[in-house]
Amino acid sequence: MYRIEIDRSLCSGFGSCAELAPGRFVLGPDGIAAVPEAETDDEDVLEAAASCPMGAIAVYDERGRQAA
Amino acid sequence: MSRNVVIVGAGLAGSRCAQTLRAEGFDGSIALVGEEPHPPYERPALSKEFLAGTREELLLQGSNAWAELEIDLELGVRVERIDTTRRLASTSRGDMVWDALVLATGARARRPAAFGGSGVHVLRTLDDARRLRAELVPGRRLAVVGSGFVGTEVASTAVELGVDVTIIDLASLPFELTLGPEVGRLLADRYRAHGVALRLGAGVESVLRRSDGAPRGIRLSDGMELGCDLVLLAVGAEPAGELLLGASVPIETDEGGRTGLPSVFACGDVAAPWSAELSRHVRLEHWTSAAEQAAGVARAILGREPGARPTPYFWSDQFGLRLQHVGSAEGWERIVLDGGETSLVARYLAQDGRLVAALLVNRPQQVGALRRELAPELLAA
Repeated sequence: MYRIEIDRSLCSGFGSCAELAPGRFVLGPDGIAAVPEAETDDEDVLEAAASCPMGAIAVYDERGRQAA
Repeated sequence: MSRNVVIVGAGLAGSRCAQTLRAEGFDGSIALVGEEPHPPYERPALSKEFLAGTREELLLQGSNAWAELEIDLELGVRVERIDTTRRLASTSRGDMVWDALVLATGARARRPAAFGGSGVHVLRTLDDARRLRAELVPGRRLAVVGSGFVGTEVASTAVELGVDVTIIDLASLPFELTLGPEVGRLLADRYRAHGVALRLGAGVESVLRRSDGAPRGIRLSDGMELGCDLVLLAVGAEPAGELLLGASVPIETDEGGRTGLPSVFACGDVAAPWSAELSRHVRLEHWTSAAEQAAGVARAILGREPGARPTPYFWSDQFGLRLQHVGSAEGWERIVLDGGETSLVARYLAQDGRLVAALLVNRPQQVGALRRELAPELLAA
């Protein structure tokens, strides 16, 4: 289980997160990324977080350690 | 199958290559060798938040994470030469052998020989940024040579800090060739409105010095003298290709980051991967390009497909504007502008009307749609 956090003040709307983990990340009407569900088992969120040019996405594992 | 990967260069590309190898299940040894003494860090903030003093934490990942991933971080180590026949790297701390070698040596800030000495800065590394930051004191006069992204971002930060800034460039407008004269004029007006003086169409001859050696001004190519207390040279970066090519030239690779030599790869600012779209090798000094190339090299080392090469992208934050650029900044014939200085979309079209690039100013909500328009194969987000 992963927990996703987005720093919306950093997000620039690049959109790679929504391409690499569709459904886990969506771009809102303001163009800024949002997470419909903060927790997921989907490992694609790790690559999605790494792809963010602004470093706006953090993913934590079950022990609360940052996984991406 | 490689068991022993040596990565030269611990910037974003080298680090991302090492991380991706582990993420893809590689369980051999990985050495990540960096010349700088600092653990891998993010560079984009060096001209902005770090220079402004509003952000200190720049690490790519927590310092324990490297050990947890069993990535052997060799910091403060310089690779002197490589022997691609014996698969040997000679370093300042002894020899290392490899099955696969990744050259992620990056680029160095250009510093013309005539501009050495105290008070003349470049900005590439964390130490560069610390030195420059210490000198950005209210009321001092900074001359920025070069109106590219490093120069203009530093100008923006310095003005906020109360520094008196002049930008000097040979071009008649900033970004004229890449973004076009209309956008160049908008940006130049913005810089002036924020109190930056622009000396365009002028080259730099020499730094004038006081008797104590500190800069007192710059002599321009038109014979004029410009008073200043410190200088930033922001005239681009040259690829650190010496280890493989003996010169500061890009290392050409295929789309997967393979050089012509077996088991030798390159990625990041030093690399010029083949572009099928443009039918030539292209070196892009963008954050996203370095990250993507590095992940591709990791997959190539493991014998996997490198994955698609996404549309080039870069961004810049300056003078209250977020600039985002997608696509290739060359080969356009005309521009269609929509909006004004603080909210703008510039569409760059080829002769046949096809969109080749777009610049957004404070319009993050449109970058996703424009990326998809440029690369329709991207999944709808």
